[in-house]
Amino acid sequence: MSADEPIIGIDLGTTFSLVAYADERGPHVLRDENGDARVPSVLAVLPGTPGAPPTLTIGWPARDHAVENVKTTVYSVKRLIGKGLADLEAELPFLNYTVAGGPRDTVQIDIDGRRYSPEEISSAILRKLRERAEQQLGGPVRKAVITVPAYFDDAQRQATRTAGEAAGLEVLRIVNEPTAATLAYGIGAKIADQPENNTGGISLPIPTCPTASSDASTADHTQTVVVYDLGGGTFDVSVLRIENGVFQVLSTAGDTRLGGDDFDRTLITLVTREVQEQFDVGITAPATRQALRTLAEAIKIRLSEQNSAQIELSLGDDRVYRRTITRADYEELTSPLVERTLELCTRALRDADLGSNDIQQVILVGGSTRMPLVRQRVEQYFGRPPYTALNPDEVVALGAAIQASILAGQQPDMLLLDVTPLSLGIETMGGAMGKLILRNTTIPCRATEMFTTFVDGQTAIKLNVLQGERELARDCRPLGEFELRGIPPMPAGMPKVEVEFLLDANGILNVSAVEQRSGTQASIQIVPSHGLTKDEVARITRESVEHAQEDIAAHRRIDLVNQVEFDIHKTQQMLAKVGAELNADERARIERDIVVLRELAQREQNLDRLQEALTAFGHSTLRLAELGIRGALADQTDKNATEER
Amino acid sequence: MNSPLVCDSCRTLHSAEDLDHFRMLGLEPTYNVNVADVRQRYLQLSREVHPDRHAVQTGESLKASARLNEAYRVVRDDVLRAEYLLELHGGVASTEDKTVAQDVLAATLMLHEEIAEAHAADDTGALTTLRQQVEERQSTTVAQIAELARQLPGDEDLRKQLRAALNAMKYYRKLAAEI
Repeated sequence: MSADEPIIGIDLGTTFSLVAYADERGPHVLRDENGDARVPSVLAVLPGTPGAPPTLTIGWPARDHAVENVKTTVYSVKRLIGKGLADLEAELPFLNYTVAGGPRDTVQIDIDGRRYSPEEISSAILRKLRERAEQQLGGPVRKAVITVPAYFDDAQRQATRTAGEAAGLEVLRIVNEPTAATLAYGIGAKIADQPENNTGGISLPIPTCPTASSDASTADHTQTVVVYDLGGGTFDVSVLRIENGVFQVLSTAGDTRLGGDDFDRTLITLVTREVQEQFDVGITAPATRQALRTLAEAIKIRLSEQNSAQIELSLGDDRVYRRTITRADYEELTSPLVERTLELCTRALRDADLGSNDIQQVILVGGSTRMPLVRQRVEQYFGRPPYTALNPDEVVALGAAIQASILAGQQPDMLLLDVTPLSLGIETMGGAMGKLILRNTTIPCRATEMFTTFVDGQTAIKLNVLQGERELARDCRPLGEFELRGIPPMPAGMPKVEVEFLLDANGILNVSAVEQRSGTQASIQIVPSHGLTKDEVARITRESVEHAQEDIAAHRRIDLVNQVEFDIHKTQQMLAKVGAELNADERARIERDIVVLRELAQREQNLDRLQEALTAFGHSTLRLAELGIRGALADQTDKNATEER
Repeated sequence: MNSPLVCDSCRTLHSAEDLDHFRMLGLEPTYNVNVADVRQRYLQLSREVHPDRHAVQTGESLKASARLNEAYRVVRDDVLRAEYLLELHGGVASTEDKTVAQDVLAATLMLHEEIAEAHAADDTGALTTLRQQVEERQSTTVAQIAELARQLPGDEDLRKQLRAALNAMKYYRKLAAEI
């Protein structure tokens, strides 16, 4: 790997995304001109105005105009990635854009009649981050580490990698968010660029990069930490052991649909119900719904700092809903969500075979951990104040950059050992889930299983590969149908096909199969349940969302050129018919204008300028057009008169 | 460190297809191991073989790393280690010999019923007592397993006894999961 080819670290979040890079000064997030590292994970098609085409925007402009462009603003797409329509029943009522079923069990987002996969939307956000990195690092960026929630399944991980590839990034590693955060804390002493904590003294009493202390006795340097990561859309808890630069995840648990969005939704549901009770109307207007979504988020943030907040929502026709909400009210609404996170903490501790007293540090990650109720309940649960020295919005991106520098060979003593969050298995006879790899097994890991045929001469075997903890296959998540092909024809039961299931360091499954009697490598055809096929991936990589912008422009160009030709043709017809009524100068000017406009239509790349020229041509031929219309009406009258006679 | 997984001088990975879990960690296949030492060996080898360290040899390091993780999972665990050694010494797998001692079977059936009753009555006190009982049986069985596994390869009778003790452990684990 070339040392001068940078590898960036990306936190692709539900609400915000960030990009970071580690150089000799240490890892640092890349900020915009206002000093903000966050790029809202929002994409919008802003409507065109006369003279300006619709435009695709990503980030702050898209987020800031969400209320005006309700149907064409796409947010929280991370909650859709790797999912099917049936998975999203509870989700859809809170999304103001249109989600439709895609091929197999996937979903697509409909923006003005054009359909996008969640991967395409994510790739547009990743491209934006890549551009920022290229500007600030001053050169091309083609390699990245991208973080995902630890509890993401195979489909969600693969979809994230696909999004990266469609954005022109080779995704060298998919890293779990809580693990990345621990890396950032683990070398906290080296972290540069922390405006919130620019003291230089931010280091956990965790063994740091052990280059300085590799001779010290090993046992003293071991620490067990819990990472509590509550983001915009997902919750993860991971238990890690840190020892001499090795960050080993012992267990992880989580919920990929439990985050800040769900806290907002408790308020949205409350207001919707009260508006119904007080005014006997539902909140149906898209703009009002979007305004309420923005309001709910703002109230949540305000209640983290103050004890009460005012809600005011205009319902049209001079009707205004008003209410005061106290922090206590809000905490009562959201406390079930917090309790759910603590249940998952219990599960993670149990899987790690540890009690809360065995934990030396609790690290808070994710913007949603700013809520006082979260901090308070986590402190009670673990019996110690949580550690929050780093900005919870930025710590995951910093960790991704550190993992990137590990992959670049710049951190010779650091190593990350992660686990798979979900058990992996296959459907056995009778519809049971036969587990091959248990959850919380260190990755990479592998399992092998023997298969044979049921019919003489059978050359293919189908397998239903699953992820999940439940006993029945139908309660687990199908990864897709795997078909082993190319088994040499033999009597039934004779072939011995050994299938190897290998989970790589990204937590992504690789399958290979060998028929052992003949030594034949079987080929494997995979039809993913909740993801894209190879062809679909190739297509979206070719036609990125940015091309949609070009499409919009190309369409407009075709329309404009056609309009130019049409108008010129009409003008020439009228010149032939009624041109004699104009004086010679006027005729000559129009002839000249036609040549100029036609030439402009051929070469002008700025469509706005072409539009202006076309409008001007319309004005300059106005008199001719009037004469033409009058002439046509006269013809008509003559004709009628003739017929009457 | 001596492990056939990595070349000590040139740092490249060796194919280790035929290595048993112990030899992969540079150990002799015996029941008595020092778990802290096993861990240090595992961490040090991980630094060498993990795919993060091998931008070039990715395929090999992926396989080596998966095998190393499996070796560590088995060797550090008192029960899995005994099971694996039994297999190395030609003992039969649990799928072929499901025998357990008569008293183990009887005790399991009784405990199974008591657990179901305690769940039905939502009796947390009874469940706590039952958990303690199961845990006691587990630790007695682990001690028994260790005693037998230290004597491997031994004679066929010893291997049968070890098989039965390992099978009993499976029964108790299921009971623990029920609680």
